[in-house]
Amino acid sequence: MSNTSHTTPPLTPVLIAGFAMRPLPPALLQPFLGLAMRLLQRRHPGVFERLSSVDAPLFLVDPVDLPLRFVLDPDPAMPRLSALAEDDPPPEGITAIIRGPLLALIDLMEGRIDGDALFFSRQLTIEGDTGAGVALRNAVDGAEIDLVEDVLSALGPARAPARRALGVAGGLLDRFARDMETLRGAVVAPAMQKAETQAAALRRLEEKVAGLDKAQRRQRRASTP
Amino acid sequence: MTTQKLELVCPAGTPAALRAAVDSGADAVYLGFRDETNARNFPGLNFNREELADGLRYAHQKGAKVLLAINSFPEAGNPGPWTKAVDDAARLGVDAVILADVGLCDYAARTHPDLRRHLSVQASASNPEAINFYAREFGVRRVVLPRVLTVAEIADLNKSIPVETEVFVFGGLCVMAEGRCALSSYATGKSPNMTGVCSPASHVRYVEEGDRLTSRLGEFTINRFDSSENAGYPTLCKGRFVAAGKTSYLFEDPTSLNVIDMLPDLMAAGVTALKIEGRQRGRAYVAQAVAAFREAVDRAAAGIPVGRVDLTSITEGRRQTAGSYEKAWR
Repeated sequence: MSNTSHTTPPLTPVLIAGFAMRPLPPALLQPFLGLAMRLLQRRHPGVFERLSSVDAPLFLVDPVDLPLRFVLDPDPAMPRLSALAEDDPPPEGITAIIRGPLLALIDLMEGRIDGDALFFSRQLTIEGDTGAGVALRNAVDGAEIDLVEDVLSALGPARAPARRALGVAGGLLDRFARDMETLRGAVVAPAMQKAETQAAALRRLEEKVAGLDKAQRRQRRASTP
Repeated sequence: MTTQKLELVCPAGTPAALRAAVDSGADAVYLGFRDETNARNFPGLNFNREELADGLRYAHQKGAKVLLAINSFPEAGNPGPWTKAVDDAARLGVDAVILADVGLCDYAARTHPDLRRHLSVQASASNPEAINFYAREFGVRRVVLPRVLTVAEIADLNKSIPVETEVFVFGGLCVMAEGRCALSSYATGKSPNMTGVCSPASHVRYVEEGDRLTSRLGEFTINRFDSSENAGYPTLCKGRFVAAGKTSYLFEDPTSLNVIDMLPDLMAAGVTALKIEGRQRGRAYVAQAVAAFREAVDRAAAGIPVGRVDLTSITEGRRQTAGSYEKAWR
């Protein structure tokens, strides 16, 4: 499944950060992705157990606003997550592709947003084996993942200062996101105004046509003996 | 007519959703085992026995009940998974089982007479004769009513039956004769009635065609959404088809039931419990819907106007309806 969210990513801080990340090789991320999988295996083993109904799935997770994609192999014994550049071909045997804006995917992973609601609003798409995609969504939603707490759990004594630093970073990100929304509003405002004018003109035309139809029906009934 | 506060019965597809429901104010949580014995047998969803035991402890500590749905129909010659589910429900101490099959009702009544029995919507019992039969023969204490009755019809029904009624107030709609619908089975060979899943995800495919999204179920194309349209569930009953040269939703629009502003009417109609649909939904949905209805139930009980609450973001197709409660058709 795919839609406009695939081709037209939303204007978000992630999209801007993605432009800056483009020259970096995905391999640089591998140590962090490896750590993330070890944490997931240790703190949320239920994710893999819930996926046991799907035969050896391999997922491609595609944040549409990043120039990266991620391949997830949820093998309970050795789960693996690896990054691909947007032009790299995915490996053979991908079971399902899950697409959406990065922050929506993170909200989904942490259970802050409902997967069906994201699907209804066309922000989330699943391509390939829908059953496997639904199983992954349910498994992750049931795991009560908290990315910040999960990462902090691996930091030992550095946990308290890291928590403070993350708090500051989160505040800055929120502010940046609000600024981006303001910018987006300013950029699209003229186009929106034009669209609204056209929609109003279309409504007037529709009303006029409906009126003419009605008059014609009345005239036909009146002329019928 | 009841003067008691309405009981809020909420869905849980995972232990995390159960905790979200209880923490958000559910009076009772309904759930199912991770197999074909219940009508939400979706991949990655539901409870194993250990998770149910943990969920029971959590809910009971916070004063909430746990109801176990065993509401699909046993496969001919293979009743084992269904009778074992009833046995395990009794052993683990659930507050009630929600059953649909006559034989399973009989088994539960004979084998575990102290286990409270509710009649699932899957039994499609919507008249006094049917409900009185289940009450008389199997000691059913509550019936979950099909989503086809008006408030006035529910009020009339409540005067003619000796058991409690539970009605859906929010979530996905099914306008078919539940437990007897064969649309999913026709398209995929699997159905909520026998395998516990309507329009199984394993048979659903989404295909991009230009800027349009096409949904397919088995061999059938069931909908095509323009880029500006919100999507709905990929079920045949919510498919958009061409008939007599006109493209339309023949059976049902993709929309969610929401009658949060009708709770005083349902209280006056003698309803005992309100059901929120959505065991297949995430814990964010559960928390949001349950919190909204918790407040609405408390306000209705206190005689304070409930008012409208905006739950659009979690509705199917981002649209809402009062469904049959305000039925304008026959």
